[in-house]
Amino acid sequence: MTPRSISKSIDDLVSIIAVADGEMIGRTRLQKTAYLLELTGLGSGLPFAYKHYGPFSQELADTVEFAQLFGNLEEAQRQASWGGFYSVYTTGPDVVVEVDDGKRGIIELAKEANPISLELAATAAFLATDGFEDPWQETANRKPDKVSRLDDAKALYKKLSAIAVPNAWPVI
Amino acid sequence: MNSYKQQRVRDPLHDLVEFRANEFEDALWQVIQSRPFQRLRRVKQLGFSELVYPGATHTRFIHSIGVFHTARELMAHIESELTSQFKERRAQTALAAALVHDVGHGPFSHSFETVGKRLKLPNLKHEAISAKIIRDSELSDSLALLGGGFPSDVADLIAVDGPTDVYSSVVSSQFDADRLDYMRRDKLMTGTQHSEIDFTWLMANLRVGKVKQAVDEDLVGEVETLVLDSKAHFAAETYVLGLFQLYPTVYFHKATRSAEKIFTELLVRLFHVVGNSGIPKTGLNSNHPLIKFIKKPDDLDLFLDLDDTVIWGALSQMVSCKDKILSKLAKRLRDRDLWKSADLRDYVRKQSETSFDTAATDRIVIRAQDEINEWSETNSNEVPRIIIDAANRPPYKVTEASSGPLNQIFIKEGETLRNLRDTSEVVRAASVFKLNRAYFDDSDTVAKKKITDAIRSAIQEEEK
Repeated sequence: MTPRSISKSIDDLVSIIAVADGEMIGRTRLQKTAYLLELTGLGSGLPFAYKHYGPFSQELADTVEFAQLFGNLEEAQRQASWGGFYSVYTTGPDVVVEVDDGKRGIIELAKEANPISLELAATAAFLATDGFEDPWQETANRKPDKVSRLDDAKALYKKLSAIAVPNAWPVI
Repeated sequence: MNSYKQQRVRDPLHDLVEFRANEFEDALWQVIQSRPFQRLRRVKQLGFSELVYPGATHTRFIHSIGVFHTARELMAHIESELTSQFKERRAQTALAAALVHDVGHGPFSHSFETVGKRLKLPNLKHEAISAKIIRDSELSDSLALLGGGFPSDVADLIAVDGPTDVYSSVVSSQFDADRLDYMRRDKLMTGTQHSEIDFTWLMANLRVGKVKQAVDEDLVGEVETLVLDSKAHFAAETYVLGLFQLYPTVYFHKATRSAEKIFTELLVRLFHVVGNSGIPKTGLNSNHPLIKFIKKPDDLDLFLDLDDTVIWGALSQMVSCKDKILSKLAKRLRDRDLWKSADLRDYVRKQSETSFDTAATDRIVIRAQDEINEWSETNSNEVPRIIIDAANRPPYKVTEASSGPLNQIFIKEGETLRNLRDTSEVVRAASVFKLNRAYFDDSDTVAKKKITDAIRSAIQEEEK
C-alpha cells in the first residue's frame, strides 16, 4: 500500500501523465507542466524554486521516484538522435482520471509543445511572479543560448494564457 | 608608471595568492575590502561541521579568494587554448564572479536558507541576496571601478543557467573553480584523508571542447566548455568519486545535520516569538541584529549585520530567556548537546532477517518515515519530537534534466568527446548515497520506540 502522506502527490503526478494519454516525454517538460499547473491554482501545492533551468520542484522529483517504487509510474531512458538521454514517463493503460478543463488544456498544450519553448515560457512566468519587471528580457539574459526560441515561447505562452484557470496568468 | 600595488595573501591550500599590480586585480582587491566581502570572514564555509571536525573552521572569505585564484589558473589554460580568440573582458567578468559568488550566504549558509523555506521567505536564498549585493551595495561601487556596467555583467554571469560559454564554465560547470577549491579545502581543513584528487594532472590535461546542450529530446546547440584529455581519465574518476565521498563523511555527517536541525528550529521559533510581540521573552534586546532582521527580513543592510558570530554570541542570552522552547534549543546548540539520530536504513537491516533489495528498502523507509511524521505531528507541541532527514547524492548524474556541460565530464579522445559515464565502468557502477535519518531527544524513550515500531510495521507491510 502507498503511504498516506505521499499517495495524494503520487495521484496528482499520475493524473498529469494520464491526461497526456499515458505518456509524457522529458523531465523538463514534466517539471514545467507541473509548475504551470501550480502557478494557475491547478496544482497540488508543490513548492517551486529557480534551479539551473527554470522553476524546479525537488518534491516533484522525489514524487517521481516514489511513484516508481510503488508501481504507479515508469520512467524509461531513451537515447536521442544526437547522443544524449531523455526520460519517458508512462502510466498503466487503465489509468483514467477526471480533471477539469483548465488542467486538461494546459497538459495537452504542454505535451505537444517544444520543450525549449515550454522551458522559456515557464521560466518567464516564474520570473514575473518573482518581481522582475521584464521577465522575457531576464529569461533571455539567463538563457542566452536559447534566445532564438523566445518568439516561439511567447506564442506558446499566449496560447496557454487563453486557458481559463482559477489563478490569473501573469501578464507578460 | 601605474600606482597599483601588488597584494599578497597566504593560504593553507594554495600557499601564496597574489593580486597583481594592475587595474583589474586592484579593483578586485578593493572589492575584498568592502563590508559585504569582509563579512565573509565571519561565515564559516562548513557551518556546523566544526562540531565534528574541529579543524574545519575555514571561512567563506578564504574560500572565495581561493576560488578566484583557481579561476585565474583555469582562465590561463583557456587563454593558451584560445590564443587570439580569447576575450579579455569576458574573462575578467568571470574572474570577478568567481571572487564574489558567495557574498549572499547567510549565517550557517544552507540552514539559514532552510529557515527561509520553512517560513516562506524566498528572499533568504543566497543567489537572490548575492545578486542584490553585487548590483547595489558598497561592493558594487568597487566593481564599478572597471566600468559602470561591470557589476551587472558579473551578476548576470552568476545568474545564468549553467555554462553558456567557456568563460562561464569557470564559474559554473563540473570543473568550476568553486568545486575545485571547496573539495580540496574541505578535505584539508577537516583532516579527512580520503577524497584526494590529482589536481595538477587534471589542470595539465584541461582542454576546451564543444559539447551538445539539450532540453529533453530537443537539441539546443553546442556550447564551449572545459573538458579533459584522455590522459586524465583516471584522474577524472578519482575526482568524481572523491567529491562523492565527501557527502557521507563530511557534508551529510549525522552530528552536523543534527546541529543544523536544531539551528533551524531555533530560528523558526525566534521568528515566531518575535512575530507575536514577544521580543522581551527572547533574551535579546530590540536592537539586536537578529531581532532587527526578523522584523525586516528584506532589508539588505540588516542582512549584512548577520553572521555566524552574531548567532553564537546570542545563544547564551537566549539560554536564559523566558521562552522555554527557545531557551532549550539555544542551550543544546551552545553546549553541543545534539539530538540523537537513528539511521533508518540501518534499522531495516537490523530489524529483519530478510535481505531486502534497494527498492524494497526504499519502500520500507518511505513507509516508516510516513508513519513517524504522522506520529510526530500528532504528538508534538512547538518542536517536533522526531525530525526526519532525507537526502541523497548520486555520484554522477546521467539524465537530461541535469545533463549537458553543467553536470557532466567529457573526455577528449582524438577529436571525439565521450561522456565519462561511457568511458568509466567505475563511475557507471557507483550507486546513489541515500540518507534517511530520524532525529530525536535521547531522553524521549517513547519517540525512540516509535522509530523502531515504525520500521517493524513497514517491514511487515513489505513482506505481505
